[in-house]
Amino acid sequence: MIGGLVRVLDNVFGRGEAAVTVPPLDGALRPNRALDEATRRLPLAEVDSVVVAADRLLASAGKEIHVLEGGAWRPFRGYEAEVACLSPVGDGGVAVALATGDIIIEGGRLDGRRYRAADCHCVTAMAVSGSDLFVANGSATNRAADWQLDLLRRNASGSIWRIDCESGRSTQVAGGLGYPAGLVADGGGLVYAEAWKHRLVRMTASDPGKPKILYADIPGYPGRLAASRDGHWLAVFAPRSQIVEFVLREPAYNSRMVAEVPRPYWIAPKLRSGRSFYEPLQGGGVKHLGVLKPWAPTLSAGLCVGLDGNFQPRVSLHSRADGATHGVTAIAEHDGHLFAAARGDGVVVAVPLDRLSADA
Amino acid sequence: MSVSDTIVRWRYRAVPDHLLGELLTKRWMDNAIPLLILTAVVVVFGSAIPDFFGAASLANLARQWGEFSLLVLALMIVVVAGGIDLSVGSTFALGNIVALALLNVAGWSVPAVVAATLACGAGVGLVNGMLVGFLRLRAFLTTLVTLIIVRAVVDMLLLHYSVPIAAAFVDSDAWFYFGEGTVLGIPFSVVVSITLAVAIHLVLTRTRWGWHVLATGSSRRSAHNVGISVRRVICATYVASGTLSALAGLLFASRLGGAGSDTGIGLEIAALTAAVLGGNSLGGGRGSAAKAVIGSITVMIIVNSLVRLGVTSGANSLLLGLVLLVAVAIDVRWLKNRLKVLSKVYVSPTYASLPPAPSTEGASPYALNDRLRSVELVGLGRIDGPEDVILDADDNIYVGNRTGDIVRFFAPDYGRQEIYVHIGGRPLGMAFARDGSLLCCIGGMGLYRVGSDREVEKLTDETNRSWFSLIDDSRLKLADDLDIAPDGRVFFSEATIRYEMHDWPVDCLESRGNGRIICFDPNTGATRTVLKNLVFPNGICMAHDGLSFMFAETWGCRVSRYYFDGPKAGSVEPVIADLPGYPDNINRASDGTYWLALVGMRTPSLDLAMKMPGFRKRMARRTAPDEWLYPNINTGCVIRFDAAGRVLETLWDLGGKNHPMITSMREHKGHLYIGGIFNNRIGRLKLEGADPDWTGPASYWGRA
Repeated sequence: MIGGLVRVLDNVFGRGEAAVTVPPLDGALRPNRALDEATRRLPLAEVDSVVVAADRLLASAGKEIHVLEGGAWRPFRGYEAEVACLSPVGDGGVAVALATGDIIIEGGRLDGRRYRAADCHCVTAMAVSGSDLFVANGSATNRAADWQLDLLRRNASGSIWRIDCESGRSTQVAGGLGYPAGLVADGGGLVYAEAWKHRLVRMTASDPGKPKILYADIPGYPGRLAASRDGHWLAVFAPRSQIVEFVLREPAYNSRMVAEVPRPYWIAPKLRSGRSFYEPLQGGGVKHLGVLKPWAPTLSAGLCVGLDGNFQPRVSLHSRADGATHGVTAIAEHDGHLFAAARGDGVVVAVPLDRLSADA
Repeated sequence: MSVSDTIVRWRYRAVPDHLLGELLTKRWMDNAIPLLILTAVVVVFGSAIPDFFGAASLANLARQWGEFSLLVLALMIVVVAGGIDLSVGSTFALGNIVALALLNVAGWSVPAVVAATLACGAGVGLVNGMLVGFLRLRAFLTTLVTLIIVRAVVDMLLLHYSVPIAAAFVDSDAWFYFGEGTVLGIPFSVVVSITLAVAIHLVLTRTRWGWHVLATGSSRRSAHNVGISVRRVICATYVASGTLSALAGLLFASRLGGAGSDTGIGLEIAALTAAVLGGNSLGGGRGSAAKAVIGSITVMIIVNSLVRLGVTSGANSLLLGLVLLVAVAIDVRWLKNRLKVLSKVYVSPTYASLPPAPSTEGASPYALNDRLRSVELVGLGRIDGPEDVILDADDNIYVGNRTGDIVRFFAPDYGRQEIYVHIGGRPLGMAFARDGSLLCCIGGMGLYRVGSDREVEKLTDETNRSWFSLIDDSRLKLADDLDIAPDGRVFFSEATIRYEMHDWPVDCLESRGNGRIICFDPNTGATRTVLKNLVFPNGICMAHDGLSFMFAETWGCRVSRYYFDGPKAGSVEPVIADLPGYPDNINRASDGTYWLALVGMRTPSLDLAMKMPGFRKRMARRTAPDEWLYPNINTGCVIRFDAAGRVLETLWDLGGKNHPMITSMREHKGHLYIGGIFNNRIGRLKLEGADPDWTGPASYWGRA
């Protein structure tokens, strides 16, 4: 009763839950141009996942997996459906999830095994811990390609499943999540990124009912997690913005926009924005003297966050509104470089790791 | 159109939301609350007291009010200059006893008594003024001390003269006329105070001295900085206050003819209550005679009515004190929050549905191309914001810039440039008149003319004020583009009357018909509004028939034609009703058609928002301006259309490398010159097949 009243008042005054504030990029997240200034740029259209398996860098793009050889991508394997995500299995193998929900193991001890978690049609991330394969299912109702719709509907129907690699049996370990988009096994538990709630959460095997929030109020939508030398990398696939937060709190406009406006022109976070003049333009994005300001409000950007052992931000790499490395969906460390897959711009960029530690 | 859209449309048509904000911008709104309180007081006591509105009751009240309001006016003058005068009650008593003593005991003539009494009051005021104004003592403490000293003087005078005063008999009709006479049935004291109130009002609002008083009260330091002698002004207000108080005492003396030790006791509190209750701010700078009058009537009614209701004397003072407290609280809160409320309610978007946008694909006349890619650049990085571009007979280019200059680029290679003239404001649309002078709309200033000798002359900066507009729409805020009729009349657009130039995005959020088209006639020097309620009218271009002009409404995404002469005079016809973008300037093309710049393109998300005014209003309140949805002015194009509204061709710069937004284009000798208000270059495009000798001035005024 009181809670309802507070919500109504908040809506009137635009505060509390109704406030559209977005945390500033500050501290470890202070903006830079590191992603755009990367020494090597490896174009690969529709690149989505990058992983390291058996000391090779694999990247998924569309229905194919490519391998990096001699500074260029070479097709490695093709599938019947879009590759949803990749995950190293630990012994040189790699788990490949398809948009259909099928999971195939390539290489390693379990080479050729196929699994399927019941009811998973929106696999966003996977992680292996011992003989268990954990699968994040972003949404119960929307496919991964419809992630913007899932956000605009303000869904929280994501779930995490455990598949026993030996028996193939799947069980749900967590549900009701706001689009879990990243997953990593850490110590005795599992850390997942809840994109629509802008946070990293740890779930311990011993007490799965009591998740612990590790890193809250991320100024973007956190996606895949990957191990690094001394912690983890977090790929933030799109920035949060005031206008999107505002539209999320405007149910009438929100539903009419979904119904009447073509999807590429929605006011919603994107992997790449500003390509068409039919897309919404915000005040700060007006070009002055022929220049788009880097600080312009944008619906897409590139952001990789380096996390320490406690999942706290330590260093970050950006591509800002005027940059060309937007929509980073996956990160992998390989060969002394950080490889970030910027799906928005169809490119994998490589940044030397030693330069990063010097910055940090 | 769906049912809900229809409801929203009628809701916004029926309720003029924008008036609330405009009301709050008015200074006279400060009087609204005091007037409300006065009405409430009249209603409450009028119903509680029988015969409240009777003639005898009113006459009695009026006489007392005449004296009391003089005190309130006295206090108001001091308060409005940022001070306070607590000694008004004592000065009132002093005036009373001095007048009686001089008349009854000394036996002076009436005019001499009046002069001496006023001088006495002025003397007290002068002491206050010297101490507070020149020695800069605290007004509150100083006047408190004067209150006590003057009261003591009055008591001493009473000791000496109360008996002789009571014993003497005065036989002067003139003297008693002050207290008992009437002018056309109105008590003399009321006539005096109303006359003085009007005079004080005129002085405060219309004279240099009054402005100095208000300026000093608003901000002492700023007043000092602009050269006002703050000390003298403050001293003068105290002198005026003392004189008025003594005058009130004089009227009182004439009415009652007796001196007592309780004369004027507690009057300063009543007067202070009245002044504050009327809306005169204790902080200074805000106050008027009208407020003093309203406040004094209110307090007069309260005090008298309480007495008549049988409330005891102590309770009466208590209630008055409480009223003062509430009045001060309201004053402070109102002052503090008025602008906050104003900023929340001023922006008031309305329902603005646009027709479906035509496609920019395939066979559409708007189909995308890259024809602007081959522009030559003029003045890249050397010009800041050329909104409009115009060329003279010698091919020199004239453009306005952000800092208020008109810059000339010299033909033939445009490598050299000079500041042709500096006008100030924001030069926007330009046109050459028949005599070769350059006419220019200056955003924030009005319509200006630059003669061929570079002499700058203001043509007009105001038009007729609309009768029913709350905000003063006589001044030109954003003169935008102009064109000149064959007879020399200048028609120009004013994009919005509700916002300053740099707030144009807010006007877009509103998308109400805030703009107008104005005609300046150089033959008579008269300026008048010809078309109102246009949605950001922008470009204007004379049609080739010499009887009409084309004009573009930017947020309305349409081009219309207005006939100012001929059989269709006064009518408006649509030319293009559904543009895919936001039109800006229109100019003639060499083949009898017209060029139109689209400054930006419509986006489906903003088009939808236009149908949801509540969404836009909340967006304006809750998100930062940098985050607002804008029309997409990062991509523009140039189109050519004919008088029938057919779009003949479209020139795009895909990717917006050189011309992300285009606000104007001008054809000249086979080339098209392109400008953009946020750009730093002028584009020059060779037009295939265009008349290589055609120039704008020749098309308008014939070959010289």
